[in-house]
Amino acid sequence: MSLLSDPKAAVDDLSRPEAWVLGVSVAFALFLLGALLTGALGPTYFLFLVGLAGMYALLSFGLNAQWGFTGLINFSVAAFFGIGAYGSALMTADSSPIAGGFNPLVGLAVALVVAFVLALLIGIPTLRLRADYLAIASLGLAEVVRLIVLNERWLTNGSAGVRGIPSFFEGWPVFSTLPETMPGLRLVVIPGSPILLGTSFWRASLNVLLVLAFAGATFFVLRRAHRSPWGRVLRTIRSDEDLARALGKNTYSYKMQSFVLGSLIMALAGVFYTHLNLYVGPGDLDPITTFYAWVAVILGGSGSNRGALFGGIVIVTIREGTRFLNDVALPIDPAPLRLLLIGVVIVAVMRYRPQGILPPQRELIWPSAVDDRDPPDPPSSGVREQKGGGGDE
Amino acid sequence: MSEGALPKDDAVLRVDDLQKSFGGLAATDHATFAVERGTITGLIGPNGAGKSTLFNLISGFYEPDGGTVEVNGTDVTGMEPYQVADHGLIRTFQTPRKLEGMTVREAMLVGPRNQPGESFVNLFARPGTVGESESTNLAEAERILEEFEIDHLATQPATDISGGQMKLVELARAMLAEPEVLLLDEPVAGVNPTLAKKLKDQIRRLNEQGTTFLLIEHDMEFVMDLADPIVVLDQGSVLTEGTPEEVQGDDRVIDAYLGGGT
Ligand SMILES: Nc1ncnc2c1ncn2[C@@H]1O[C@H](COP(=O)(O)OP(=O)(O)OP(=O)(O)O)[C@@H](O)[C@H]1O
Ligand SMILES: [Mg+2]
Repeated sequence: MSLLSDPKAAVDDLSRPEAWVLGVSVAFALFLLGALLTGALGPTYFLFLVGLAGMYALLSFGLNAQWGFTGLINFSVAAFFGIGAYGSALMTADSSPIAGGFNPLVGLAVALVVAFVLALLIGIPTLRLRADYLAIASLGLAEVVRLIVLNERWLTNGSAGVRGIPSFFEGWPVFSTLPETMPGLRLVVIPGSPILLGTSFWRASLNVLLVLAFAGATFFVLRRAHRSPWGRVLRTIRSDEDLARALGKNTYSYKMQSFVLGSLIMALAGVFYTHLNLYVGPGDLDPITTFYAWVAVILGGSGSNRGALFGGIVIVTIREGTRFLNDVALPIDPAPLRLLLIGVVIVAVMRYRPQGILPPQRELIWPSAVDDRDPPDPPSSGVREQKGGGGDE
Repeated sequence: MSEGALPKDDAVLRVDDLQKSFGGLAATDHATFAVERGTITGLIGPNGAGKSTLFNLISGFYEPDGGTVEVNGTDVTGMEPYQVADHGLIRTFQTPRKLEGMTVREAMLVGPRNQPGESFVNLFARPGTVGESESTNLAEAERILEEFEIDHLATQPATDISGGQMKLVELARAMLAEPEVLLLDEPVAGVNPTLAKKLKDQIRRLNEQGTTFLLIEHDMEFVMDLADPIVVLDQGSVLTEGTPEEVQGDDRVIDAYLGGGT
């Protein structure tokens, strides 16, 4: 049922919300294309937005691997994001008060190792206990990490932040000089308003490539994990941990694996952000990032990887889209408007679709095992329909 | 006190002088008994006698205040539930557990222990092995569902089936874990007589195939027909143990039930 080989059948196969999301996405893509062609939206800025969307998708993937799969309540998304961002910034930037100047791949590795250790440190004492202990401990952790970054100037530059961060491809063969060597392009789609594609455009393209690689790899890993016996144990824990224990599953170990996996993905988002923004400051660790990730996951449908992707894109659209409203005379500022919009979206989703827009629907069995046999009756849609989807958060 | 300790040469489960109190209440009070391999042993007693507490102690959900639990000759006292399960003991719960968002056959697939696909690394390092074992387990799950005559429910949401069917699924899933001894907490509570009869047949059949059962049940007709021997628990300790006839004729048992637990 590939979309390319048989588009009609593939579309017929979609559930109503899937078709709806597809329709809205296509319309939105056309709208963006129009804005690009008419010059209303600069191509470089557009690519920056795509990068941001990928970053939020990564954050939601990470949280989904914890909350959506296993039911772990983690309020320190921003901390793990910050660890990723600062970890790679401090290893690679010229202005780094510690090491600095390393290859970004070293920064990536260090960031992931630090996030891994931190996830273990917070997981070991809390994951044996009831779910609320992790929630509270992670809330504290987020604040501790933020305050350390703000106050330990010898380590992090404090409130000044870290500047002089190279692009992720610095020091790579070919890639590092690609933006400069690519020819500048001048596209004329509408006479009179040419679109210029120069070095900054190519640099932004590389970033998009990078985030596509990060998010694509993560999506691939999570999708396979979700449909596996491993993911099934996590889903059992989410639904009823005692049942998993009675059936001989070491739930503590599974919760730890899920927590560490999610934390690493969040740190990956931070690493990407560092090389996208080329500056990190303590403000990047504000709890709002955690809030956005939660909204994205709940909106998309807890437990669903595609839902997390969708939620991440919606968040960026609301966050960045409101900036354009500056031009329009509105009785309300963009910042509060943004929060208002998100609030309205959450209330609407909780009221009309508490399980989220794209909850996981089909049964999750290792694909080769079900393909071997005759297909089951209509893909048991509606299995998740009753699911509360964590509306009580 | 240890009247329950009849001589048993080949005990798959041995409980010795087990104690547990909640605050001032001794829920398990020096309980001692054993389950002989190959039997269907019944565990009865008035409400609040401490039967479920005993299950929780045996399976590692509660930490005992004193005493020991042995499974297959190994001391499992104080172990985690998954470790007790690794020694061959699986338990079900008094209230049916629902797996939200799974189909019946998906919920069944949680049962098999030590699946290759339960290791995260294997998912990427040995996807072929994972797929093979998943196919085998799925076939096995569907075979058991068929034996239990609920194969038509396989792709139904696991939360949308009746309470009795849920009990059947629980038993079927526990069987996929291939336990040597299976502890069932009130398997037919709230189950209609037809379904209860079906469950009884299944338990008997599985027992003939080699699984040992220890089951708690308030339905006297059910338990007296199925189980032998029967252990009677009252106020946390073993009152007596014997054949269904012996137990039914025992005045102390009648007193315990008439007098109420507490
Ligand atoms: N977690 C707990 N905390 C405090 N008291 C408990 C706990 N679990 C059980 N009890 C108490 O221990 C006693 C035994 O309870 P238990 O559930 O083992 O009885 P039971 O024999 O299974 O009864 P029933 O036949 O009604 O299921 C009861 O008085 C109960 O109130
Ligand atoms: Mg009970």
